[in-house]
Amino acid sequence: MNNIIEVKNLSKNYRRYKKKEGLKGSIESLFKREYEEKIAVNQMNLSVSKGEFIGLIGPNGAGKTTFIKMLTGIIAPSAGEIDVLGFYPNDMKNAFKKQYAVVMGQKSQLFFELTLNDTLRLFKEIYEIPEEEYRESKNYFIELFGVKELMDVQVRTLSLGERMKMELIVALLHNPKILFLDEPTIGLDAVASKQIRKFLKEINEQRGTTILLTSHYMEDIKMLCKRTVVINHGTKIYDGNTEELFERYQRNKRIQVSFSQPTEVKLRHDYEVQIIEDTPYKKTYETDKVHAKDLLEGIMQYDPVDISVEEEEIGIIVERIYEEGCEHNA
Amino acid sequence: MIKNWRVLKEMLRLRFHGIMVFRLDFFGPFFVDGSLFLVQLMAFSAIYANVDTIGNWGEGEMMMYIGTYSLLNAINMTLFFFGINGIPRKVKSGELDLYLSKPISPLFRLSFEQISPGSIPLILMSLCIIGYGMQMTDSTYLEGEILAYCFWIVIMEILYYELEVLIRSISLFIVTTANIEQIEAAGLSLCMKLPGIAFYGMYKLIFYLILPYGIMATLPVQSMIGEMNGKLALYGITVVILFTILTAMVWKQGLKHYNSASS
Repeated sequence: MNNIIEVKNLSKNYRRYKKKEGLKGSIESLFKREYEEKIAVNQMNLSVSKGEFIGLIGPNGAGKTTFIKMLTGIIAPSAGEIDVLGFYPNDMKNAFKKQYAVVMGQKSQLFFELTLNDTLRLFKEIYEIPEEEYRESKNYFIELFGVKELMDVQVRTLSLGERMKMELIVALLHNPKILFLDEPTIGLDAVASKQIRKFLKEINEQRGTTILLTSHYMEDIKMLCKRTVVINHGTKIYDGNTEELFERYQRNKRIQVSFSQPTEVKLRHDYEVQIIEDTPYKKTYETDKVHAKDLLEGIMQYDPVDISVEEEEIGIIVERIYEEGCEHNA
Repeated sequence: MIKNWRVLKEMLRLRFHGIMVFRLDFFGPFFVDGSLFLVQLMAFSAIYANVDTIGNWGEGEMMMYIGTYSLLNAINMTLFFFGINGIPRKVKSGELDLYLSKPISPLFRLSFEQISPGSIPLILMSLCIIGYGMQMTDSTYLEGEILAYCFWIVIMEILYYELEVLIRSISLFIVTTANIEQIEAAGLSLCMKLPGIAFYGMYKLIFYLILPYGIMATLPVQSMIGEMNGKLALYGITVVILFTILTAMVWKQGLKHYNSASS
């Protein structure tokens, strides 16, 4: 298989200014600055093949976004080797930039006062897309995302989910070989997130676009990525099959129930159940995923008005990988 | 080059669409810039009400000077001021990421994406003042002198642009550039009122070389009224070349230094 991204011992360090508390600290810092070294990405190795859909997960500040920014050339690495599509990204060659796209969930490249039809023309010129290819690509995405009636509407009037669809159209218009997605579903509701996931899957399968996705949402990663890389404190702690990752390290489910009247729940069980919250109207339990169904059946006897079943957060999975070590650790 | 031209055309189109959404955005700059222009003229009148000459320049030459400065300023406001002025904010917020990841010069896009058509009338008003100044000098101006003047306007506009970019590129290295921008504003304000020929000693060093606002309107006027000599022309062109190199270096190094904002 051809690797289109090859990263060896990639590191990024920042120097952070430190100041002691209070006025004295401020005055001291005027004359004597103290800095600390922050390692955002530490000795990262990664190979990505053409057409892969890879999930990058990790808690806040793990180094996911910094890693993506180095792959796209936005920031320069402090050390290590990096090759994306045969280029050193931070050389910022236009020939390289034409072959990838980046979508950042928290930064928009749309013009809010204008319509998408207006905006797309600018990107057509920036990417030098021939007229026919532009029309073809635009129509393909309009149909795929089902946004025909939104093309002449001011972007500012669109919902967050609709706006994200527009961001994706702008990013994909030039048919990039690699799509970097940094938290594309952040802030979106369940329906919009599901739609975005569906589109991304289609783009990966139909167009063969290699996709690197960072997300806090387990659902994004589970639904889309065959391979997942877990990063913590800038270090890769897992690189392997997504299904196996969740099978091995996401063990518990959290069940939250609400009642219309004060309820005392007495559950009989021969497996471990942790009571997280216990108030007259609301209870939260945690148990291993094998027994979650039994626990839920027991709770249902008390006639709850609302139930939610949640999976463990990324932080817990990261902790568990650390505690138990991992054979996939690179 | 062709690509940049096409992108510029699209940016211009988008800018027109954007500012026409809100009427105040469209007409606002004309009133704001017009007011600034009038304040400048009034300051000029107040200063020169009791002064007949500065150096060997009479009222006509001074009128040409003030018109030339206004012209440079108006072209700057129309073409790139609002775009360049946003650079520090975009660096701070990490918005620059979106410019760096596109296959077009980020500086080109940043410079021209906020073109302000509302400032175009100021260009016309400045030309009227220059014309009035030319009449006041009672001289006839040859085609060559006018062409030389136009050449220096272009060269000095480039210098103006470079100084603006240079000052704002510092935001790629340090957190705030507000104090440096204040120095820029003070220098510009002083040089709008006083031509370069009025500076001597340390002031000449500052405003002819370190912050060369002093030569920006002076050299075009000197070229028109026949005060330009080879030495002065060479000096002006050298300053522009030096600042071109310096600006390109600082901008490129700044981008290498750019760490983006945390997400």
